[in-house]
Amino acid sequence: MRLKFILTYVVVFFSAAVGLGEAVAKTPVRKSTPTTRSTPPPKAQDVLAEVRLIDIYRLIGKGNTSAALAAADALVNDHPTFALAQLVRGDLLLARTRGVAKFGDIPAAQLAGSEATLDELRTESLVRLKALRERPPAGAIPSEFLQLSPRVKHAIAVDASHSRLYLFSNSAAGLTLVGDYYISVGKLGVNKVREGDLRTPLGVYFITSQLDPKSLKDFYGAGALPINYPNVLDLQRGKTGSGIWLHGTPPGQFSRPPKASDGCVVLANPDLQHIIRTVAIRTTPVVISKQLKWVAPALTQALRDQFQARLSAWVQTKSGGSLTSLTTFYAPNFSNNGKTLTDWLPTLQRELKQASGRSIEVKDVSLLHWLDAEETMVVTLAELIQGQRTGLTKRQYWSRRSGQWTIFYEGVI
Amino acid sequence: MKSTRIAVFKILRFLTLASFCLGATAFADEYGEVSQLLKANKFPEAMARVEGALKSKPADPQLRFLKGVILRNQGRQTEAITIFTRLTEDYPELPEPYNNLAVLYAGQGQYDKARAALEMAIRTNPSYATAHENIGDVYARLASQAYNKALQLDNNNAAVPPKLALIKEVFKPNLNNPKPGTSTPAATTPVATPAPEPVVKPVPSVTVPVTKPATPVAPPATKPVPVPAATHHAKDVEDAVMNWAKAWSTKNMPGYLKAYSAKFDPPNNQSRKAWEKDRRERIIGKSRISVTITDLTVSVNGDNAVAKFRQAYKADTLSVSSRKTLNLVKVGNQWQITRESTGS
Repeated sequence: MRLKFILTYVVVFFSAAVGLGEAVAKTPVRKSTPTTRSTPPPKAQDVLAEVRLIDIYRLIGKGNTSAALAAADALVNDHPTFALAQLVRGDLLLARTRGVAKFGDIPAAQLAGSEATLDELRTESLVRLKALRERPPAGAIPSEFLQLSPRVKHAIAVDASHSRLYLFSNSAAGLTLVGDYYISVGKLGVNKVREGDLRTPLGVYFITSQLDPKSLKDFYGAGALPINYPNVLDLQRGKTGSGIWLHGTPPGQFSRPPKASDGCVVLANPDLQHIIRTVAIRTTPVVISKQLKWVAPALTQALRDQFQARLSAWVQTKSGGSLTSLTTFYAPNFSNNGKTLTDWLPTLQRELKQASGRSIEVKDVSLLHWLDAEETMVVTLAELIQGQRTGLTKRQYWSRRSGQWTIFYEGVI
Repeated sequence: MKSTRIAVFKILRFLTLASFCLGATAFADEYGEVSQLLKANKFPEAMARVEGALKSKPADPQLRFLKGVILRNQGRQTEAITIFTRLTEDYPELPEPYNNLAVLYAGQGQYDKARAALEMAIRTNPSYATAHENIGDVYARLASQAYNKALQLDNNNAAVPPKLALIKEVFKPNLNNPKPGTSTPAATTPVATPAPEPVVKPVPSVTVPVTKPATPVAPPATKPVPVPAATHHAKDVEDAVMNWAKAWSTKNMPGYLKAYSAKFDPPNNQSRKAWEKDRRERIIGKSRISVTITDLTVSVNGDNAVAKFRQAYKADTLSVSSRKTLNLVKVGNQWQITRESTGS
């Protein structure tokens, strides 16, 4: 009877986990990044709960239910509110008294009224396994990260289809995946359009601030990192809503179902704490995608070259001092805080005057490429007038229409 | 040096125990008398005897074991736990103290501790049937708790009930089932002889027909084959059966107990009182019960009736469907149960 239980259980859910073996173990799920001084070395209890959960699956897959139960006992001891771990532990305990035919074989009387919760737990289990099975190719990065200035130390990419947040460290050598975490998105999925639609926005964002958990309701757990939804592109498209955060989980829930929030990205508290300790506020980009496209950095070289040529042309033109020439780089639908292009020209004129013939240069350029029905480049750069030590950090939104890149937003940040 | 002494002690203890096995006299009498007092529910008297005997033999495991049993019967759980804990420390090779410790923990809802103790009991004696049975219950309860946490349900609802049932069953086999193993036969035998009855008595296995259809208590004795004499009576009997099931489902204890005639003979030679107490514990203890009757056939013969049906019983995590037969007698204008049996 017990043998039967194991087989059924494994066939349905865990064959993947078993095959996963080494791959998961090697996955740098959480590494303390040498560059981050504040990150303490991982404690024993800090071994990711998910890694331990998968280990339990693997033990079940091997038929070693005693070791699996012991591991489940230890896991729920450390994370009593990890519902998925409790579910698996329930199965393992029940398997000692009778056959367990399916994952989460809760007796009908006990389950009555909670069927949806069980379904959510099963989905959570599947999507966690999916994310661990479908690993990003080695060395690949999300295509949105076209270029990141070495001054940007970290980057975050969220893949809704895998309920996963990927954390990268960045250096002159490029991006390195340093960790990835199960997340929840909006109850109705992604592609937020308007306030209250219970969806998580898709796009290129930045962490704008950090909220102290003491100032938040328990519901948000270990803290919150708001992002700048709606961004310039969203506003141009008339999207509404606000208060999209990366935040933690309530005290009673280690993790939440894959689709659970009102639009925020929700992480388990230990994971969120790690991210809060790691990333810089204001400069860390957060790409949220329905499904990330992982590419080798070399493959994006052509686009990078092409865009940088256009950016250089803008720099040269601005150095040349002709407002008429410079205006050709700006889109007719340009908008800055309600100002149209016509409203904006005096600002450009003033900047040219300030340079008074001196050329300008740009440094620390980051390019984030967002492709949906339209093609957008979110540019962050430092602009200096030749001879000056300090300049302004600017953000520009460029869009490609009829093959040509033009600026539809520009502002100092 | 010390370890040597401990080893010697162990041998001594073993010898002491072994001497009982050979039918040693004085203490065997002592146990027998305590056992009689326990059987009669004379706990203070039993305690007095045990305390008296312990004065001369303070380390005697059987006396201490009996004292633990008495304490538990007196509701002095904490003291009983202390006694059995010490016994497990002094005699780690004996499964019974672990088992009873588990029962006490389970009674307090400390299923994790109960599980650990039972796992120890099984480790010391892998063929100890009682511990296996008990640990099954404990696993089921732990599974239920884990599921509640998984579903983020309030755990308190379901956590309370079947502890008592567990406890009592434990004592019975603990004392009744001498281990087949040879390692500690001495301990079991003396304990088994004196103590079993008192504990068993208040805890009859009346659940068997209810929860385990596979174990018919007794084949429904050949009933007087009835003639379709009074069909209007049949309707009354049907109502009585349905009311009985309803009272059971709604945990209406007065209604449920009233369904049973004064002539009802409780199983396992229990007294009516003991049986009622047991039923109360087993029914009130469940968070929800559902008893559904189908395929009901009734035959009436004068003031006697037989109702046969399929009973779908659901309680907490348990779900059992079984054939059941009720014999009923008409008292005044009421049909009351005189016999309840499982199986067809």
